[in-house]
Amino acid sequence: MNFSTKMALACTTALLGTAAAAETMTIGITQNNVGVDSYQTTYEKAFIAAAAANPNVETVVLDAGGDVARQIAQMEDLIQQEVDAIIIWPTNGEAVIPAVRKAHQADIPVVVTNSNIAEQGFDFVKSFSGPDNITQGARSAEIMCDKFKEMGIEDEAQIVQISGQPGYTTAIERAKGFEDRLPEVCPNVTLMETQPGDWNREKSQQVMEAFLVKYDDIDGVYAGDDNMGVGALNAAKAAGRDGIIFVGATNFAVGYEAMAAGDYWGSIYQSPVDDAEAALQTAIDILEGKELPFLNYFDTPKITQDNMGEFDKPVF
Amino acid sequence: MAQLTRKDLTGFLARQGILVAFALFMIGFALANQRFLDVDNVFGVIRSSAILGIMALGVTFVVIGGNLDLSVGSMMSFSTIVVLDLHDKLGPTLAIPAMFALTMGLGAFIGFLVGYLKLNSLIVTLGMLSAIHGLTLTWSGGKNMDIADKEGTWFSVFGQGSVAGIPVPILMFAGLAVVLSLLLTKTPFGRKVYAVGGNGTAATFSGVPRARVVFQTYLISSFCVAMAGLMQASRSLGSQNTVGQGMELEVLAAVILGGASLLGGSGTIFKTVIGVLILGFIQNGLLLVGLEFYVQYVVTWVIIILAVWLDIAAKRGRLWSPIA
Repeated sequence: MNFSTKMALACTTALLGTAAAAETMTIGITQNNVGVDSYQTTYEKAFIAAAAANPNVETVVLDAGGDVARQIAQMEDLIQQEVDAIIIWPTNGEAVIPAVRKAHQADIPVVVTNSNIAEQGFDFVKSFSGPDNITQGARSAEIMCDKFKEMGIEDEAQIVQISGQPGYTTAIERAKGFEDRLPEVCPNVTLMETQPGDWNREKSQQVMEAFLVKYDDIDGVYAGDDNMGVGALNAAKAAGRDGIIFVGATNFAVGYEAMAAGDYWGSIYQSPVDDAEAALQTAIDILEGKELPFLNYFDTPKITQDNMGEFDKPVF
Repeated sequence: MAQLTRKDLTGFLARQGILVAFALFMIGFALANQRFLDVDNVFGVIRSSAILGIMALGVTFVVIGGNLDLSVGSMMSFSTIVVLDLHDKLGPTLAIPAMFALTMGLGAFIGFLVGYLKLNSLIVTLGMLSAIHGLTLTWSGGKNMDIADKEGTWFSVFGQGSVAGIPVPILMFAGLAVVLSLLLTKTPFGRKVYAVGGNGTAATFSGVPRARVVFQTYLISSFCVAMAGLMQASRSLGSQNTVGQGMELEVLAAVILGGASLLGGSGTIFKTVIGVLILGFIQNGLLLVGLEFYVQYVVTWVIIILAVWLDIAAKRGRLWSPIA
């Protein structure tokens, strides 16, 4: 090996080194409450896996454990560490705004993931990456309406709604999307009553039991997520009321299984893996200077008994 | 003669004020919605209340013994998740006793801290509420726990079965209520629980083993929680980690509504059952009437306050009193 080759090698190595260093970005994430449910648990795993698959990305993965104060402290830590971008899954849409503002003032771009923060904080956020809950609600309405048309009962069907926890943006938006879209596609379907099931299968089962007593004729149930949808399904099964069309959102493994068994009609496929990967990609795109829409939604397609073969069973 | 009848009536009211309040609410709801008293609905409500109810039976012992148990909701989540997980790993026959052993192990630990080490029960059980929640999440890795083969297991009998047309949860709730009521009223142990809660120092000087009695009340409480968890798991054959979250306060509300004193020394199983039923029927009645949920929160609270007030007023013999 002569001198010039050595030189060339050294230069290449150095060049490669600098190139790699220039492209390596450190992205910090503070999550809401990992481990409290399967969705968030899977999200974290997918996020770490996606980051590991990208050699240019280093991550600092934190979890606020559902605690606002801890999340604010974690934001401050990430600012101190001078990470290149921060992803936040807000524990609370209002309380985290000052911390987000601090990051913005330190010139660190902030991406909000999964659930957006309150509107007065939008100025300090580069992009929101997450599901579009209004569209999800609207799509659920379409799934239900299409099924009623197929059954030929779109002019007389009566339905009830079991919504998520009162006060949660996701719950409010899904209900709104559903309630706005339903009269557009199926103007003669009556939504008789809405009650919250608090994202809880057991609570939803109790609500449905009361609905079944109160209404002799229920053709469809829209639940704010599959967990509640399956709770309602259990109530109907126990009461021996067949033929009710159940439509949910956030397809859970239990919902998928109930669909496979033919008991549950459809849902919205929202993958925590897509959610995590979209958040990471959004942060990377921002650091690479790409133009992104402020509301950077990832797609959450319709899933029904007819097309469920195209989807893997959710892991949560 | 008339005098005597009136006295009897007042005496009855004073003792059973909460029962009268319960009857009044039932009549009110029945008038508002005629479906309310349908057999199906009544069975449905009692079956739904059975889980909360069984937990309340156990907590009644703890409260009469002069302590609190805020860990029951979190412990119920634990037993539900554990029994569901073990069901697929060990089979139901082994999973059930294993879950009972683990849950009662937690109860024994709390009983040891509160009974023998004399730590404040509020602090201990509040701490255990979080600690057990952490344990549950560790066990499940945060995932929902579901039984794989939902059709082919006899495990569903505890939550979904029925005997002679009566749902099994109701039978279990009623059976346990009778057994625990006998334990509380007809055995030396029961009297010791009242003695320890009424005046712990006096009980000690009378030779009642205070620490052991308190320990045993927590053991009973955790046994009831395990029963509730079994029923919960069997009812839906799958569960979130947070299934029992917040139930400790509902349980306590039912026990207090039944007239047990938070200071210990008083309360009965029968009245706790009434307290449980009041909560269950209020929730169901308001749903049937169809009020918006935010109105329901307020109305639930108003009804509870009314019930407690009626109970107190009946004891006093008048609606209002300048001295307590």
